Amino acid sequence: MNIAEIRHLSFAYNETKSVLHDVSFSLEEGKYYCLVGHNGSGKSTLAKCLMGLQSEFEGDIILFGLPLDRKNLFSIRSRIGIVFQNPDNQFVGSTVADDIAFGLENKRIPREKMQSIIDDFAAKTGMAEYLDREPSMLSGGQKQRVAIAGVLAMGPDLIIFDEATSMLDPKGKKEIIDLVHQLRKENPGLTILSITHDVEEAARADEVLVMNKGSILMQGKPEEVFSRIDDLKAIHLSAPFFYELRAALIERGLKIPEDIKTAEQLEEYLCR
Amino acid sequence: MNFALGKYVPYDTWVHRMDARAKLAATILFMVAVFFPMATWTMTLVAQGFLLLFVSFILASTKTRLRSILTSLKSLWVMVLFLLIIYVLVPKATNTLGVAWTWNGWTVYWDSFAEAARVIVRLVMMIMIAMALTSSTKPLDLTYALQWYLSPLKPLHFPVEEVAMTISIALRFIPTLLEDAMRVMRAQSSRGVDFAHGNLWKRITGLTSLIIPLFVSSFLRSEELANAMECRCYDPREKRTKYRKLHFRVSDIFLLLAMAVITAGIITISAMKIDFFALMGIVAL
Repeated sequence: MNIAEIRHLSFAYNETKSVLHDVSFSLEEGKYYCLVGHNGSGKSTLAKCLMGLQSEFEGDIILFGLPLDRKNLFSIRSRIGIVFQNPDNQFVGSTVADDIAFGLENKRIPREKMQSIIDDFAAKTGMAEYLDREPSMLSGGQKQRVAIAGVLAMGPDLIIFDEATSMLDPKGKKEIIDLVHQLRKENPGLTILSITHDVEEAARADEVLVMNKGSILMQGKPEEVFSRIDDLKAIHLSAPFFYELRAALIERGLKIPEDIKTAEQLEEYLCR
Repeated sequence: MNFALGKYVPYDTWVHRMDARAKLAATILFMVAVFFPMATWTMTLVAQGFLLLFVSFILASTKTRLRSILTSLKSLWVMVLFLLIIYVLVPKATNTLGVAWTWNGWTVYWDSFAEAARVIVRLVMMIMIAMALTSSTKPLDLTYALQWYLSPLKPLHFPVEEVAMTISIALRFIPTLLEDAMRVMRAQSSRGVDFAHGNLWKRITGLTSLIIPLFVSSFLRSEELANAMECRCYDPREKRTKYRKLHFRVSDIFLLLAMAVITAGIITISAMKIDFFALMGIVAL
């Protein structure tokens, strides 16, 4: 089932600065999507449109079968969560527990039920020991995990990560990506749209969308998208290491079987 | 940076455990009590001495270190000097404590010193009680207490919850903005801006290179924060449930009553100009 249908979406901040042109795609329930593209390609604006933060768009955004408009905004928003780039600027509460509670308060969850929900999602994101901590005592990665816990506590069907790992150190980045994969295993119905610069993350996704200058250039499985290395190079994007290496080897006349899909398999094949 | 006053220190004492609303009310009652004048100097000494003992006991109970109390009182010496000069130069019409000394026809009364001391002791007590409150109460709990006291204004369309939310966000962002300020300062210093030397004008123009980037980054932060809040279904016009709840206990009522009795007693003694010593037949100053 498609949980999101975007049809002919265009958006411009003003007459001279058009950001999105005629973007159409759909998201299927339970899949992990990665949206890659250069700075200024319109990725974040697209996320803002999906969250209803930019309302003056043209075209249709249909989420969970409902068109995104003023009337449906609250019910749609309560089913989408978003994790932004800057860990500090989305930490609303004064402690970890308060921040996870923020969304619950907005959804008018009764107070008696909050504590167990907070404990549950703090444990799932590995923040159970930090419930009383203030944001200034947490690392960037920990703050992002709190943001994820806060989003999960609201029980969303779709989570958007808007470059959620780009301000983190490599360790924090890896932890967040591992957490996302773990969440997917636990909630098969959860759809994830990750906006990212990290092509290695995109290689692990179910589907990859490539954006350039406000349009969707390619959409497909990672192996399809990243095999088109020349098309990616034309818009100054690189493919994950495995695809780059495979292309370079093929260029030098090697024959690599179709069933080799990871760097490890390739290494084994080459050593044989 | 060291702000002794206004910094929460996470201990677990009976003062910490008290309800923030009770503490806020008790603090205000105490401040009222401090400001009531007594009929005679001896009575002033008794009343202020009693209050000083009381506030010292409370502050000691919060386990606030003596050193941090002294640091926050340090800046008072300017005030001491200023008050002394004023009171010595402008003596009151009636002086009961007598002449300290005369010099070239200029009379200095002991009352001037007593008067200055009284104001200083009052200020010290105010600072001490404020310290006791802020070091034992989380800023957020204070915000909730304030919200609770303002809630009767809600029918008058006073945005109580929005104000409380604004204050709690402001408090939450203080460390973040301080960090920002430090970063901008280091960045500008490394580009040759000197914040510590030069004449006043140079230092002020140096400061603009700190303030403007700080303003810009704060506005960017606030926009992103507003987006994040909106995405998590925040709507200030809608009703929200509350995660934090303050609990009024018997001990809170007890302390509040005790404080009310003390304040009422002080006000009565002050208003009726009661002098215990005269009642006992002792002539005091």
